Amino acid sequence: MAALAALLYPIPFEQSGYIYYETVGFLVLLNAMLGIGWNIIGGWAGQFDFGPNIFFATGAYTAALLSIHFGWNAWAGLLGAVVVSVAICAAVTYPITRLRGHYFAIATVAMWMIAQPIGATWELINGSRGLFIPVAPGKNLVHGMLTMEFPGRGKGLGFYYLALFLFVLTLLGARAVERSKWGFYFRAVHDDQDGAEGIGIDSRLYKVIARCLMAAVFAAGGVLYGFWALAVFPDQVLEVNWNILPMMAAVVGGLGRLWGPVLGAIILIPISQLMTATLGAGPLAGRGIDLIIYGAVIMLIAGGRPNGLLSLPWARWAGRLVGRAPAGPAKG
Amino acid sequence: MTLLLQAVADGLQMGLLYALVAVGLTIIWGLMEMINFAHGEFMMLGMFGAWGLSVLLGWDPLITMVPVAVIMYGAGVLVYRLLMQRVQRGEVFTQIFATVGLFFFIQNGAVAVFTSDYRFVGKSLLTGLSGTNLTLGGVRVGVPLLVGGLIALAIFLALYLLIDRTDFGLALQATSEDRDAAMLVGIRPQRMYAVAWGLGTALVAVAGVILANFFAVYPQAGLSFTVMAYAIVALGGFGSILGTLLAALLVGVVQSVTAAYLPPAFKDAFVFGSYILIGLFRPQGLFGRF
Amino acid sequence: MRILRLIVAVAILSFIAVQLTPAPRAAGPVSEVLIGELLPLTGNFASLGQQYLWAGQTVEDIVNNDYPDLNVPLGPGKGFPGLGGAKMTLVVRDDQSRGDQARTLAEQLITVNKVHWLNGEGTSGNTSIIQPLVESYGIPMACHACASPTLTEKGFKWFWRTGPNDGTMVASVFQFLKEWPAHGGPSDLKTIALFTCDNLFCQDNRKIAASLSEKMGLKIVADLTTKTGATTLASEVQRLQAAKPDILFNVQYPAETTVFQADAKRAGFTPKVIATSNGAYSDQTWLNAQKATNGAAGWLGRDPTAIDLASKKASWKKVNDIYKKYSHGQDMGELAMREITGLLWMADTINRAKSVEPAALAKAADETSMKPDVMIIDYKGIKFDAHHQNELATGVVTQVGWDDDKHTIWPWDLAAQSGFKPIFPLPSWQERESHKK
Repeated sequence: MAALAALLYPIPFEQSGYIYYETVGFLVLLNAMLGIGWNIIGGWAGQFDFGPNIFFATGAYTAALLSIHFGWNAWAGLLGAVVVSVAICAAVTYPITRLRGHYFAIATVAMWMIAQPIGATWELINGSRGLFIPVAPGKNLVHGMLTMEFPGRGKGLGFYYLALFLFVLTLLGARAVERSKWGFYFRAVHDDQDGAEGIGIDSRLYKVIARCLMAAVFAAGGVLYGFWALAVFPDQVLEVNWNILPMMAAVVGGLGRLWGPVLGAIILIPISQLMTATLGAGPLAGRGIDLIIYGAVIMLIAGGRPNGLLSLPWARWAGRLVGRAPAGPAKG
Repeated sequence: MTLLLQAVADGLQMGLLYALVAVGLTIIWGLMEMINFAHGEFMMLGMFGAWGLSVLLGWDPLITMVPVAVIMYGAGVLVYRLLMQRVQRGEVFTQIFATVGLFFFIQNGAVAVFTSDYRFVGKSLLTGLSGTNLTLGGVRVGVPLLVGGLIALAIFLALYLLIDRTDFGLALQATSEDRDAAMLVGIRPQRMYAVAWGLGTALVAVAGVILANFFAVYPQAGLSFTVMAYAIVALGGFGSILGTLLAALLVGVVQSVTAAYLPPAFKDAFVFGSYILIGLFRPQGLFGRF
Repeated sequence: MRILRLIVAVAILSFIAVQLTPAPRAAGPVSEVLIGELLPLTGNFASLGQQYLWAGQTVEDIVNNDYPDLNVPLGPGKGFPGLGGAKMTLVVRDDQSRGDQARTLAEQLITVNKVHWLNGEGTSGNTSIIQPLVESYGIPMACHACASPTLTEKGFKWFWRTGPNDGTMVASVFQFLKEWPAHGGPSDLKTIALFTCDNLFCQDNRKIAASLSEKMGLKIVADLTTKTGATTLASEVQRLQAAKPDILFNVQYPAETTVFQADAKRAGFTPKVIATSNGAYSDQTWLNAQKATNGAAGWLGRDPTAIDLASKKASWKKVNDIYKKYSHGQDMGELAMREITGLLWMADTINRAKSVEPAALAKAADETSMKPDVMIIDYKGIKFDAHHQNELATGVVTQVGWDDDKHTIWPWDLAAQSGFKPIFPLPSWQERESHKK
């Protein structure tokens, strides 16, 4: 049912011309997808990764370069971006898997900090001046899905469906991993790393695998972003919100739960958009009131439900609402 | 050769300032293992405190240190009791999440109250001394930064004595190592955490007061110092006060020497690269206990 | 899982139900002209964004209220006469200095709020992110104070810029340096050092300065890019000092410039000339803070206007008074002046078009031929070239004097009017201290 709702979501907006809401949907899907990716290393493997945006950046830049210099199609670029990002991830992550807990966290931040001046000064990617993907006129929706080029006003609709497609792919992939041996190993490393080592699980290898799965997701997200914005700037793709939002979505929804980031994204993004439009505008504009409230809301959610919103007794509530006894604790 | 010596001297001076910013984080994060995304924002509040009192009452920031420390101590305790205490019940990541909310709240609160203009502390003892140098063996040492650095050292020493030599400090350490065991010997963990937050917040706000002598004061000012602070605490090793000090000095020197010989845009990157390098050989930092 | 699906579906359905009624675009006369203002009001560029906001509020005030003696477009009279007295309404959005927010909120302003004109984003980087979007929707857009040349080089049909770009502005500094010897200046300036921050704005300036230096035969003895947000520049200053440049081309924001000044003072580093471009030099709060220490005396830089001459105009004074209502008493800086000029041009264009239809607006914009006497800034006028760049937007070169105000030193005719003799060489730090009033 949710699938149907998700598929039909943009249609009324297309009819009424309120394309903006389709873009909000796009952002929700993109961040939910990134959140699911982050959940693999953060939620399942339990490693503090605070620098996933470096793979967002490598993904965006790789695809942009391939498109600009070699004229590659966007999907070919996406493939290239994922390959490059996973390779980089494997290379840089293996050494730091020696570190545990907060030390590992700072190592991921360190990578992010190292990526920044590289992004800002490397001439190959035009440094701070950014890479611009040429604006292509685009033809129709189908052609657009194959090339990520949409005509004028079709962008909102087109990118929504692109994001939906990638999101579903990520969700299915994550679900498959969750139920596989890898999923089991990740959780083992999280729960008791030494114990896991004791029964022969190479914790370092699986931390790398978990992180690289996340890197693949973030790379794909970066490619999507690049073609959506048609410009890749280092300070934009390495921006802190590409770290914070997916993480927060996962934590708000419930860390480690497959659908957690989805719920988190659905809640966080529309709230912040709504507040920007109302509190951040008009006579109060420029005072950051919307962000103050946003911060307060986050603190309330964190303080009120430290285990995430999916840990709320949804089943009981819905049961009371519909007037029948619940079938048991909510699954998922 | 003088270029190198001067760079090292400059680096040590900056290192002491970084240590000052990191010392508050050492308590909250290094010792009590609570991640505080909003660390820089408390520093920024300290900077605004110094500026505000300087403009309103004409107080020198060296005097302002005291009232700011007291007020921010209270703020830190309040943050713990109202927010972090509840958050401790859940996932560790929720702590980060909660402090992210705090970050947005405080930074934009400052924008709302002060606007994003740059402010400068005009007249103070230290700004009056700007430009005065001591020259030791061909190397220039600026007096104002030196004074700032000496204050940082004094604070570090005081803190070290507090944590390692007093009963209270031992109680803090005990709580962080094993909460339940600490409770068994009659320590109240909630009180320890609250005090840790109060201390940490007060210390970083005092750092802000000192820094306001040298740097522009604006709501987004927290960021540039605090990323360094995290690296420093981790590099020094969790649970070690002196480790933080030494790591800060190391960071200052690496940054300064890198900028003297390599593209300056990479100076912070080299600091972080050094962290990773050292981490490969010493996974618990220079002097980490855990 | 079922429960989750239920919740998601209910949420979406109710959301859809609320939004399903389309608001038809009003045909015929409008009573309100909606101007979208997409600005970085929080985040890294907030100190710039707030000036744009105040500028927008100032122009809204001027258009909607009657200022009979104010000699700027739409000063006298209320509202847009060409639209039957319709008033101007700003629709403000804060994008937190983020590109994804900028693009999303631009789409909101266009498709939901149905603004007739989009003003933003205020920084060249994020503006270039929203250009393709606005182009595809076909409504007029402008960023008057965005200085990157690339914004008007891509051939966007729906983007206009009344302000000069960095190409012309940096060129004016170098032109001054080239012509200076013939006007009583030093003829032994041979070497230059470039010292810039690492973001888009600084790097644009650096590239332009580097190529102009070569053309002029200046030897580049140092070219350092520093990290934005640097907490110390001591080693960088050492390197610059060792390179012994005659001219230092310094492009940094106020926070880093403050650090540079402190480190340069400690090192006793004083090149013969410090030339700059925007950044701190355009920031009112930094300029004010220099008054106590004479820290900026002798610094020269490009300005889009001869601020010492323009501020003598009656219209400048009046507009400044209105601006100060919104800016908590801060005077108009050159950024605000460029923006206000551009917004008044926009109001004039809408008025001439007598319509809010995009095609009519575009036609009126392209046909613009505004004369300098109705502007508070001293461009030679407003007339757009094929790329929608105002070709009459010139830059001047100013220098901060011992009175801590900026004085025009180039072009030579304006310099003669301002009557200020350029300070050379740059005063040392001791001179600055002893010159205290």
